[in-house]
Amino acid sequence: MKHIFLAFSLFLSTLAVSNPVETGHARASLITNLQNSQQESFYVGVRLEMQEGWHTYWENPGDSGSPFEAKWNVDEGVIVENVEWPTPITIPYPPLMTFGYEGDVVFPFKVFRSLDLELSSISVDFDFLICADICIPEKASLTLDLSSATPNVLVDEAIQKLPLKIIQTESAVKGDGLKTKFKFSQPIQDAYLFPRQDNLFAYTPTQQLVSLGDDLYEITVPVLNDEVASFSGILSIDGEGFQIEEELESSSSMSLWQAILFALIGGLILNLMPCVFPVISLKVLSFVSMGGDDNSKIRNHALSFVGGVMSTFLSIATALIIIRSTGSMIGWGYQLQSPAVVGILTLIMLGIGLILLTNINFASGLTTLGSSVQSRNDYSGSFFTGVLAVVVASPCTAPFMGAAIGYALLQPSFATLPIFLALGLGFAGPYLLLALKPQWISALPQPGAWMETLKQFFAFPMIATALWLMWVFMVQTSGDALILLLLLGLILGIAIWMIATFKGRWKWIGMLATFLAAMQVFNNLPENTGGMVADSSAEEWSLDIESDLQAQDQAYLINFTAAWCITCQTNEKTAFARDKVKEYLTDQNITYIKADWTNRNEEIAVGLAKYERTGIPLYIFWKPGMPGSKILPAVLTEDILIKAMQ
Amino acid sequence: MKTFVTLLATLAISNSVNAADIKLQNPPINEEAPNFIAVNSYGKTIQLSDLKGSPVILEWTNHECPYVARHYNENNMQSIQKMANDAGIIWLSVISSTPGDQGHVSPEKANALTDSRGASPTHVLLDELGEMGMLYGAKTTPHMYMIDANGILRYKGAIDDIGRGMQFFNASFNKAINYVSSQMDQLIANESLNINSTTAYGCSVKYNYD
Repeated sequence: MKHIFLAFSLFLSTLAVSNPVETGHARASLITNLQNSQQESFYVGVRLEMQEGWHTYWENPGDSGSPFEAKWNVDEGVIVENVEWPTPITIPYPPLMTFGYEGDVVFPFKVFRSLDLELSSISVDFDFLICADICIPEKASLTLDLSSATPNVLVDEAIQKLPLKIIQTESAVKGDGLKTKFKFSQPIQDAYLFPRQDNLFAYTPTQQLVSLGDDLYEITVPVLNDEVASFSGILSIDGEGFQIEEELESSSSMSLWQAILFALIGGLILNLMPCVFPVISLKVLSFVSMGGDDNSKIRNHALSFVGGVMSTFLSIATALIIIRSTGSMIGWGYQLQSPAVVGILTLIMLGIGLILLTNINFASGLTTLGSSVQSRNDYSGSFFTGVLAVVVASPCTAPFMGAAIGYALLQPSFATLPIFLALGLGFAGPYLLLALKPQWISALPQPGAWMETLKQFFAFPMIATALWLMWVFMVQTSGDALILLLLLGLILGIAIWMIATFKGRWKWIGMLATFLAAMQVFNNLPENTGGMVADSSAEEWSLDIESDLQAQDQAYLINFTAAWCITCQTNEKTAFARDKVKEYLTDQNITYIKADWTNRNEEIAVGLAKYERTGIPLYIFWKPGMPGSKILPAVLTEDILIKAMQ
Repeated sequence: MKTFVTLLATLAISNSVNAADIKLQNPPINEEAPNFIAVNSYGKTIQLSDLKGSPVILEWTNHECPYVARHYNENNMQSIQKMANDAGIIWLSVISSTPGDQGHVSPEKANALTDSRGASPTHVLLDELGEMGMLYGAKTTPHMYMIDANGILRYKGAIDDIGRGMQFFNASFNKAINYVSSQMDQLIANESLNINSTTAYGCSVKYNYD
């Protein structure tokens, strides 16, 4: 028995050093393209000639099977490096799918050696799984004497056919499929995406290839879960393989804590945004007037303001979350997509402006907007200013805020309420600080007659805001509707005048009359129909425009904007409308695209969601060579914009 | 053999439309496991809903598959079965090979294999039509599933962490993390498992693909 075993192993070892080796269902051999002994690097190839009907596997074998394993045995000073796997083919065993090779295949490996050393032999233990309808693990121990080997053209052919070229693709998971778009200049019979990762995709049902025209194709791969963040693989187009490396827009690129931090910073910055500034400046003024006052009163006023801010943020957040969870694609600032809301805000701004300018005093909370020392115990005024500040702030998206709110709204749940609270806290931060340290108010200038002048002056930012809202209103509706709104403004003016001038019964009769008149006008307000005047220099946005342009290697800049978004309008003036920017776009051949969200538009909401945003402004830029488009800063000047595109 | 393969290949091409209709399911983890009905090697009908109250482990098997063969030759599968027996877990070995294909066995042969290998499955289920395999999305032999006493699917995937690759044939079972035996306690406790879904490795399940 022992002798037989010895004889058998001797037989095996003679088999092992020979080249080629019959492994059972294949013939394995070690070949090279080494031409002469002066080459520092060259290739060796393991050639597998499989019997008909048998196959071996790619690095991701598919539903079953196994890739080969090669263990090299080389002298010191020699390094063998894996190169790329040859382009695999699909070997279907419905309902299962496997990826691999049939017939005659060469697996190339790159060899580096030190020229100081003599050429010697190179050996490999090649373990592989070979399958027909059944599978058998087979192995070959191959040795090649490099000093006497003749170059084999099959190695060069195999290297030439390796899928080393990278193909540009754009992928997104939609429903239960990954959709990968790519460009190919010839008609395609058949294409297959071989993913390297074995746990992301389903291999059945089969992949679908559709031609989108203009050399653009889209292949759909069933996914196992929709959290595919990145993958790599080989796209085989009629047998020719290309490398794919894909990073998908992650659905959870931000953590809750990060979102809360961003919300906090964003809220703080919101104070300086143009739409909030007039209201905030009034608040600052009222605090100035409290200089030298009782600290507890300052504290209470500050806290009332903070309370107003926080409760409004909370209400807006709750409303947003509830509406979002019903599937409606609304976002931050959405309330301004309604002309009625814009109209009411216009009147509020106008009213505040009138009160400030005329210095009318009436015993309503409104007066504490200013510096009314008389009603200093009326904290409801401070609270209301907080509410108002948030309401007028809503069309503004400060830097950082967009990302945080996008995060909160794209997963509508009350678990994201802390993000909105953080936003409110950031916004109210300076006043909260004031509540904690009322003595700091003494650092502000002393109150005096200058305050009355300044208060009157602040009427103008308020009226300017009203003017801007009127423009938004006109864009949303029509010039006729605007006249009706102005008429309401007139009635409001009369009402304020009557409250201040008349006493007793007449006051209330006058109020009732103006109220009825206002209702009459209000009922005649039309629905929104308009939109921003088309910008002739900009192309119209569509959901597919990015993938289309990327496929054409065309650089682009997208401007998500709306008439009611004053940050957008500011950027429009300080960046997009500048000649320098226009020239840059023309010179660099960058397609400029505008997406106008003045009115409700589900498609644009979906487009924003792609960037995890629910509000604007949002600026997107891409040029050939960039792996994916990038988001530009929310506050732009011509220099920032041009620099961001370089 | 060769003619048979050619025949299968021809059938596969001519019936490729039908083949596309076959849908492998992908049952979700931590949800109710699909209720299967299958016949065991003694002709008795076994239904998952009848087994409620006991945890169940499913093992897709094919005694001729080299992966399965190694697990049995080295007594690895039997020792896990024994652990399951001792823990009161029902162990079902499922054979989904189609008649004429590798691993397909008669009921008698199935019982003989159990005896000769010293295996201790509660039942060996003969799933000739591959219906149970498709229902569970079984792709390889072995392919393991763990269902708790409430009928909740707790695990699907590989038997251990050796994974696909030729290293399997040299790897030590003792050094590997066995996903089934190491998570039996949690299965009995009706808990969600730490590792609940992995990529199964092995030979393909020999479904009737023509």
